[in-house]
Amino acid sequence: MTLNIAATLPRSPLIQLCYVRLAVRQPQPAAAFATDVLGLQPVPDKHALLFRSDHRYHTLCLATDAATPSIGIEIADENALGRAMEALDREGFQAREATAEECARRFVRRCTIVQDATGNEIDLVLRPAQSGRRYFPSRDAGITGLQNVGLRSRALKDDLRLWTTILGAHVSDRAGDVTYLRFDQKHHRIALYPSHRPGIVYVGYGVESMDAIMQSNYFVQERQIKIVHGPGREPASGQIFLRFEGPEGYVFSYGYGLNDVGPDHHPQQFSAQPSSLCEWGSECRDVPELQFADDR
Amino acid sequence: MIELKDLSYVRLGVSDLEDAESFATKGLGLQVGERTAKSLYLRSDDRAHTLCYSEGDPGDQTVGFEVDDEGKLAAASTTLDALGHPVHIGTATECSQRKVKAFIGFKDPTGNRIELVVRPERSGKRYFATRDAGITGFSHVGLFTTDPARDERFWTQVCNARVSDRIGDIALMRVNAIHHTVALAPGRGPGIHHVNHQVESNDDVLRSYYHLSGQRVPIVFGPGRHPTSGARFLYFLGPDQMVFEYSVGVDEIEDEDTHRPRQFGFEPSSLCMWGAKSVWQR
Repeated sequence: MTLNIAATLPRSPLIQLCYVRLAVRQPQPAAAFATDVLGLQPVPDKHALLFRSDHRYHTLCLATDAATPSIGIEIADENALGRAMEALDREGFQAREATAEECARRFVRRCTIVQDATGNEIDLVLRPAQSGRRYFPSRDAGITGLQNVGLRSRALKDDLRLWTTILGAHVSDRAGDVTYLRFDQKHHRIALYPSHRPGIVYVGYGVESMDAIMQSNYFVQERQIKIVHGPGREPASGQIFLRFEGPEGYVFSYGYGLNDVGPDHHPQQFSAQPSSLCEWGSECRDVPELQFADDR
Repeated sequence: MIELKDLSYVRLGVSDLEDAESFATKGLGLQVGERTAKSLYLRSDDRAHTLCYSEGDPGDQTVGFEVDDEGKLAAASTTLDALGHPVHIGTATECSQRKVKAFIGFKDPTGNRIELVVRPERSGKRYFATRDAGITGFSHVGLFTTDPARDERFWTQVCNARVSDRIGDIALMRVNAIHHTVALAPGRGPGIHHVNHQVESNDDVLRSYYHLSGQRVPIVFGPGRHPTSGARFLYFLGPDQMVFEYSVGVDEIEDEDTHRPRQFGFEPSSLCMWGAKSVWQR
């Protein structure tokens, strides 16, 4: 059964990582962080705190009515979504059609809300809203756009089945069991980090240069914001990164230099050592998912 | 005019030679070229040595520049003499200690000890670093100055240095296409402000930041980026409080005739465009 699914699906129905919805208890400090530290552009809205990071209408939503965080992924079209829903059903994943109200809050025309095996919520969406106006950041952080998301996984095998077999993403590389997944030319849009609970490890924004990474390094230090990992360089993807603590335990990441990967790339296995997550030698002490079991 | 071709070496007195060797190899990552009873010769590129530590007074700090030939050396000697800078002509023993054919020693107006050398030795064996710091070579020095304007005149009018940029009144000066070979730094007296080695990549600067931090080497400035030269840098402390720098990506002045020195304000962002703050205490 599983074998046939890959054959019946087009190469990858996944188009882009659209947005991240973070469940927050205290919206105001989180919103201040999004503009003053991250540098995102606020979008006026009656229902939620929305932020832009690029040409899209929004890429970050701080929601007080959500219990758990979720991410939105654009699916190619109605047919692809239909096939994905059939496959999800066959493979025993929970998926439901979002209500019109839920779609409106997500700025998409249609949405299927899926639970991965870990319990992370993934929105498969059609026609996410773009903005006619160009992106105008709140501070000069050099953000080029929402780039990738690290997800916790406590059922790696089944989560991988969802992403690869059903949704057509490809494994780019692995560092220990950390698994980088791609669905376009970039090395990874999703990274799965073995964990004992669901959730988001980090929300990653691309920035325009190494200068931007290092300027933010000093910018956040001056504001006594805890850097949890970096400045560093991820050997598998080539990206220079800075990961720092945001409100309510969320971690945000800036990245520059994420490699492009060709279709014939064969996944490489990096050893389960800190140097496989940062080749410069930065070590993470606070986020268990960004460490290997032996180093904790 | 004294035609400086290139920087040749730095000679530093150290209180503890063993300590200096440990730093130079395990920290800085240079290759030991030769050990004598009282001196340690260190390589950073294809030259026989670019840094020499000698047991003695840490205040003994000398910078060597290469000039073309012995004729130019004699002319330099005459020029300096006429300007009232006492000139010491190197003896055969002193020349062999410096691995050069001939040299003269003098002091710049601040009192920095400068040597002009002819035919400094290269090594047939390629440079093989002690650790993977990515060093590509000894590149420039910072010299203290008690009067930046006066010393700029000395380096640019008596010698052939050209000002590439200025931060406040501090001149960054070149003797070839590389953005700067001599950087002046305000100080209360003579001495070397810092010794620079170039490394291969940004990665090397950041790798060394973590490596040296792990070795408890005090980082005094950086990782950062100079808006003047464009170089990414890291400054850290060596033996007897001498500051060393790694940097990468120093601009070259492409058009010697049309380059005009840019003026940067005397403020932290002129020294680091990333926002690193110096914790230098001299």
